[in-house]
Amino acid sequence: MGQLNLNKVQKFYGTYEVLKSIELDVKNGEFVVFVGPSGCGKSTLLRMIAGLDEATAGDIVIDGKRVNDLPPVKRGIAMVFQSYALYPHMTVFENIAFPLRVEKMPEEKLKTKVEHAARILHLDQRLQQKPGMLSGGQRQRVAIGRAIVREPKIFLFDEPLSNLDAALRADMRIELAKLHRQLKATMIYVTHDQVEAMTMADRIVVLNAGEIAQTGAPLELYHKPANIFVAGFIGHPKMNFLPVTCTSASEAGVEIDHRGQTALIPVSPRSGIVGRTLTLGVRPEHIQTGSGDLTLTVNPSVIERLGAHTVAYAALGGEGENYCAMLPGTAAIRADEQVKTGIRAADCHLFDEKGIALERRVEMTDIDLALFDPAA
Amino acid sequence: MSPPAMINRYRWYELVGIYAGIFVFLTFILSPFVEGFLVSLKPLGLLFSSPYRFWPENGSFDAYRSMWVSVPGFARYIFNSFLISTIVTAVVLVLVVPSAYAFARFKFRGSGALLAAFLAVNMFSGAVLLIPLFRLMRSFGVLNTYFAMIVPGVAFLIPSGIWLLRTYMMRIPRELDEAAFVDGASHFYTLRRVILPIAMPGITVVAITTFIGSYAQQFIFALTFNSKTEYMPLPIGLYAYFGRQEVIWNELMAASFVGIAPAVILIFLMQRYLVAGLTAGAVKQ
Repeated sequence: MGQLNLNKVQKFYGTYEVLKSIELDVKNGEFVVFVGPSGCGKSTLLRMIAGLDEATAGDIVIDGKRVNDLPPVKRGIAMVFQSYALYPHMTVFENIAFPLRVEKMPEEKLKTKVEHAARILHLDQRLQQKPGMLSGGQRQRVAIGRAIVREPKIFLFDEPLSNLDAALRADMRIELAKLHRQLKATMIYVTHDQVEAMTMADRIVVLNAGEIAQTGAPLELYHKPANIFVAGFIGHPKMNFLPVTCTSASEAGVEIDHRGQTALIPVSPRSGIVGRTLTLGVRPEHIQTGSGDLTLTVNPSVIERLGAHTVAYAALGGEGENYCAMLPGTAAIRADEQVKTGIRAADCHLFDEKGIALERRVEMTDIDLALFDPAA
Repeated sequence: MSPPAMINRYRWYELVGIYAGIFVFLTFILSPFVEGFLVSLKPLGLLFSSPYRFWPENGSFDAYRSMWVSVPGFARYIFNSFLISTIVTAVVLVLVVPSAYAFARFKFRGSGALLAAFLAVNMFSGAVLLIPLFRLMRSFGVLNTYFAMIVPGVAFLIPSGIWLLRTYMMRIPRELDEAAFVDGASHFYTLRRVILPIAMPGITVVAITTFIGSYAQQFIFALTFNSKTEYMPLPIGLYAYFGRQEVIWNELMAASFVGIAPAVILIFLMQRYLVAGLTAGAVKQ
């Protein structure tokens, strides 16, 4: 079992509130990713779950037991550090065996366990080498091996891949996903890389300035961001935001006006929004050349051709806000030449003045079959 | 041999300048030792010949034999010096290692003030405190024992040891401690299994400086706190070559070299542990 509940967990450094009343339930076997910009408190939260930092208030509950005052080893967690934290004077075998040596496990049993862990991580040929002789990816696998041998209830990963180069990171991502399926253990993973979050997570927790901005499945965050922060944080390039005015609201959706153009956005209306200034969000990958429900003529200043895609950047009118469109790789556009771009109303997101989203009329089961629950 | 890297390439006149500089420097440093060694080779009668000759004419190693005869206790003095320095080094290490670890890793009230106080203690030379120390030793009744030479030695060498080792330990990534803590290791287990092996080069440096420091400072403590011939360390023992009528210079020089030899050999052996890059692979730098 590896169930984790955070109940109104708070953390103060002096008078500065780093984490504001975090509430989170993690189910057994779930792969949860904490993601957020640097300084949002995600690493602090992980270290508090690990028992390296103390929670100022609130309860950290693992398998129904409050663990706030227990040392890490009694909480049944194991942690993999960003910098690997291998012991340089010990062989790979001794590094992986370290937690078992602390427990004073009999030599025979210890050997079997270490060799089992090494086989899972393809380190069997390296057991007698020192960490200094290994590559970055192998070192990280040793660090993971040290976590595996203890058979913890919950694995904690603190940005484990951020020291690896891009190609190796992609490989390790796949290996970690496989490992999760193989071990069926609860894993909590901290990263600032949204690609890691989107690809590995069962559920993503987006943190912003010490608060949970949204919790949900990767595609849920992508298609139904709860607020402007999540909308801007998830997805690359960043979502475009345009100021619009609400002209009317009905069951069919909210009608908006953008510089004389009107469009009906299919979102759930909210009372008292008519006449207010709202923010329209549209992802760069949802913009096409030609006209749409909303048509914007822009003068792209920079064009990046990536092969599969062409990314065009333009300044929108007098607003100064960057407007970015992700077009097909062969899109016939040039820098400093006007181009017409169209947006479909169904692709749009709408946020009120506080940045809270008006819920889009999208069925999640239409988007991702994995979210479809046949029992319901 | 491959050509040196671009940054290490010099023109011929730069090379001449560099080697000339090295030569002048080495002459300055080494000439007393060279002259000392040459004196040890000369017969006593020739030492004061005029005009003075630096190069021994009929030099021999006779002084290295006769020195044992004219001062029979000399082997004992070497042994005493060695014994005192070894015990001082051992005691200093036992005390310095845990305290350096504490200063490097734990935050506690007054740690900054304590470190500053240690530094301040270092500024007092032992000579200033000789009289109070003497009175202390007398009231404890430990004058004329090894103890009287070891304890002040330890006390004066601890501060520099702590400073040296603390700096070294602060460079060991804290994540290693945290990883060990997460795996259930106690502070002492972490110190023993993780920190000590990685800090070995730093500990060796502390051991060597302490040993040398203790060798050098014995003179003043032995002179003041000890009057028993059998406990005399080497620097005092050398006085035995100062006769009533004359100083046996050649034997004195020979004895100096023989006396230092064991310490030099030991330090060469300890250098083996001064391997660089022991932390390679611990964390991503």
